Amino acid sequence: MAANFWTSSHCKQLLDQEDVDKVPQADSDRGITPEEFRLVKIHMSFHIWRLAQQVKVRQRVIATAVTYFRRVYTRKSMLDYDPRLVAPTCLYLASKVEESTVQARLLVFYIKKMCASDEKYRFEIKDILEMEMKLLEALDYYLVVYHPYRPLLQLLQDAGITDLTQFAWGIVNDTYKMDLILIHPPYMIALACIYIASVLKDKDTTLWFEELRVDMNIVKNIAMEILDFYDTYKIDPQRGLPEDKITPVMNKLPSKA
Amino acid sequence: MAVAAPGQLNLDESPSWGSRSVDCFEKLEQIGEGTYGQVYMAKETETNEIVALKKIRMDNEREGFPITAIREIKILKKLHHQNVIQLKEIVTSPGPERDEQGKPIEGNKYKGSIYMVFEYMDHDLTGLADRPGMRFTVPQIKCYMRQLLTGLHYCHVNQVLHRDIKGSNLLIDNEGNLKLADFGLARSFSSDHNGNLTNRVITLWYRPPELLLGSTRYGPAVDMWSVGCIFAELLNGKPILTGKNEPEQLSKIFELCGTPDELIWPGVTKMPWYNNFKPQRPMKRRVKESFKHFDRHALDLLEKMLTLDPSQRISAKDALDAEYFWTDPLPCDPKSLPKYEASHEFQTKKKRQQQRQAEEAAKRQKLQHPPSHSRLPPIQNPGQPHQIRPGQPMHNAPPVAAGPSHHYAKPRGPGGPNRPRGPGGPNRYPQGGNQGGYNPNRGGQGGGYGSGPYPQQGRGPPPYGVGGAGGPRGGGGSGYGVGGPNYTQGGPYGASGPGRGQNYTQGGSRNQQQYGNWQ
Repeated sequence: MAANFWTSSHCKQLLDQEDVDKVPQADSDRGITPEEFRLVKIHMSFHIWRLAQQVKVRQRVIATAVTYFRRVYTRKSMLDYDPRLVAPTCLYLASKVEESTVQARLLVFYIKKMCASDEKYRFEIKDILEMEMKLLEALDYYLVVYHPYRPLLQLLQDAGITDLTQFAWGIVNDTYKMDLILIHPPYMIALACIYIASVLKDKDTTLWFEELRVDMNIVKNIAMEILDFYDTYKIDPQRGLPEDKITPVMNKLPSKA
Repeated sequence: MAVAAPGQLNLDESPSWGSRSVDCFEKLEQIGEGTYGQVYMAKETETNEIVALKKIRMDNEREGFPITAIREIKILKKLHHQNVIQLKEIVTSPGPERDEQGKPIEGNKYKGSIYMVFEYMDHDLTGLADRPGMRFTVPQIKCYMRQLLTGLHYCHVNQVLHRDIKGSNLLIDNEGNLKLADFGLARSFSSDHNGNLTNRVITLWYRPPELLLGSTRYGPAVDMWSVGCIFAELLNGKPILTGKNEPEQLSKIFELCGTPDELIWPGVTKMPWYNNFKPQRPMKRRVKESFKHFDRHALDLLEKMLTLDPSQRISAKDALDAEYFWTDPLPCDPKSLPKYEASHEFQTKKKRQQQRQAEEAAKRQKLQHPPSHSRLPPIQNPGQPHQIRPGQPMHNAPPVAAGPSHHYAKPRGPGGPNRPRGPGGPNRYPQGGNQGGYNPNRGGQGGGYGSGPYPQQGRGPPPYGVGGAGGPRGGGGSGYGVGGPNYTQGGPYGASGPGRGQNYTQGGSRNQQQYGNWQ
C-alpha cells in the first residue's frame, strides 16, 4: 500500500517490548510462561511459513500473515484463539489483503497434507472462514502492514552494497520469528539487518550510517536482539523448533473441542 | 468499547479492542441496497449522531470476508480527507441476523454480520440533480467539480484509483460538501506493481476508452475520464455517453471524440481489443461542436478530460489549475449552497409499496404510465416556450422539499422503471400530455413531507411537458430563458433520471457494477 508509514495505523500501533512480551491473562492462568509464549509464536511463524511454501505466495504475504498472528496475541489469549487455527487464517487473510488470494479449500488441502500426523492442526474450510471474522475484529480491521523489504532494497542501493541483498534479505525474513515488526518502524529493522550483514561480510558502512543521522543506538540494539535470537534458539531454518521443545508447550493449549 | 447486547454479556471482550455492536445504533431507515448489502440511516443512541450503516453481506460468500470489502476497508482506513467519505468504524451484530419482520435470515453461515459505519450524507450527486425542478448554478457546478477533483487528487497522490466515479458515488451533504464514496472497486497502485489490473471496472457510461480496448495497465487517468463524463453531464443535463454494451459505448466515444490512430494516441493499435473494435471509418472529433453551448473555459477543460490517449489526459492536479475554476463566476463556497431538505421519516419500504400500487393501478387501467425515471433534456432551445414558465425554480431557488435525493433511495424492482433504458429508446422522454409529471416515485418520496414550504416546486411540471422530441442536444444555442450568468448551461434536471449507469449490467457478468452507493 501506498501513503506513508508515518501516517499509517501500523505506525500508531507500534508497541513497547514489554507489552508484546506480556502473556495474556487467560494463558498465564494455564501456566504458560513468557518463554513458552515466545516459543509458541516462533513455532507458529514456522507453521505459517511452511504452509506458505506449499501454496506459493510472495514473501510479503508471509510477512503480513506473521505480523497479524503476532498482533492478535497482544490482545487475545491463545486459549480463546487457538494458534493452530489462527496461523493458517492469518495466511488466508493476508493473501487477500496483499492481492494474491489463496482459496480456502487449497489452504485446507495443504494443511491436511502437511499435518497428516497431528489431528490438532487440521481444520475445515468453515473453521477458517469463521476465524477470519474473529481475526478481522481482533485486528480492529487495520490490515495494512509495512515491511522492511522495500526500505531494505532502497537503503542497500543508497549504501552501494547491493551485493549484500540476498544476505540481508534473509536476515529480514528471520526477524519475523521475533516480534520486532510490532515494536520498531520497518526501516529501522532494515537498517539493523544491513548493519549485521555489513559487519559479518566486512563491509565498512560506518560513514554511510553516520550520514543517515539515525539513532545508531536503536539500530545496534535491534541488531543485538537479532543476534541474541540466533544465539538462543539456533533454529534449523527448514524444520523449526525441535519437537521435544515445542510439543509439551503446545500440549498446554487446548485444541478445538 | 464493546457493549453487550441485551441478554448477552461480553465478558471476554477487552475494553479497547474489538468492534462495538451494531446495537449501539438505532436503524432509522433503509436508504440503499446493492448486491453488496443494505445501507441504513441510523442514529448512534448514545450521541444521537446520524450515520450510514453499510452492511457487508456475508452469505453467498464462499471465500469468507469479501475481498472487495477488504480493499475498501484497507483504503478507507488510510484516506482522511474532507472530500473522501469517512469510515468511522466497523461494528458487528452479535446475534443471528434478523430481517425487518424479526425473522432470522436463513442461509447466513456466520453468526453475526458486519457493518461499516460512515458519516451520513444527505444526497448523492445523481439524486440531487434528479430532483424535480433541480437546477444547478454555474458556481455550484464549479464548486462540486472542484471538490470532486480535490478529493480525487488526494486519492491519486495516495496511489488509490477509485475506479467507479459516477454521480451516485459522489455524496453531498447539506453543507455543500462533496465526498467520494464507494471504494468497493478501488485499488491501490504503485509504479513498481503496475499491470494486470482488471479492465472490468467503472460503470459503462463512465468507462474510458483504454479499458474498453482491454488495457490492464492503467492509472489515475481512468478516473479522470469518468470525471469528464460527469462534468459534461452536469453542464449538459444528462449523461453524454450512454452505450448499452461495450461495443456501443466505444462507438459512442468515437462518435464524440473521434476515432483514435497512432498519431493522436501512440500505441492504440497495439491495444488488446483494438482489432475487435477497430472503427469502420475514421470520424472527426466533435466535442467542441457537440457542446458549443458550454462556456469557453468549461469546454476547454472538458476537451482535456475527454482526451482519448490516457497519457495525454489531464490529471486531477492540473485540472484544478484550469482557467475554468479561476474565472468568473468563481466556484462558490460550499456553505453558501442551498440546503436541500431530506426526508428521513419516510420509509423506503413505503415508497416501494406505493410504487407497486401505482404500477398495478396503471396496469389495471391499461394506461401506459409515463416512465418515472425519464430524465428531461435540458433547456437549451430558446424556442421552447415553457422555459419561462412561472414556478420553474430559479437559480438559488429555495430547496424542494422532496425526499432525500439519494439515487439509491429510489425503489427498485425487477422490471421496474428504474431499469436502465437505452438512450433514445421508447419512453426515454415523457410522452406528450404527461406534463403533470405523474410520477409514482417522486410522489411517494414527497409523501409525509410534501407539505413543506414549497410543495408546488416539489412536484413542478417537467419543463418539457409536451413533445419531448427536442432530443438530447436540444437546439444548441446557449440562450437560457431566464437567469443571468449564474445559470447552468445545461438547464434544469427535470424529473428523476432514467436508469443511470448505476445498476448497469448489460455488458455481461460485471456484477461489480451493480453496487449501490455506499459500498
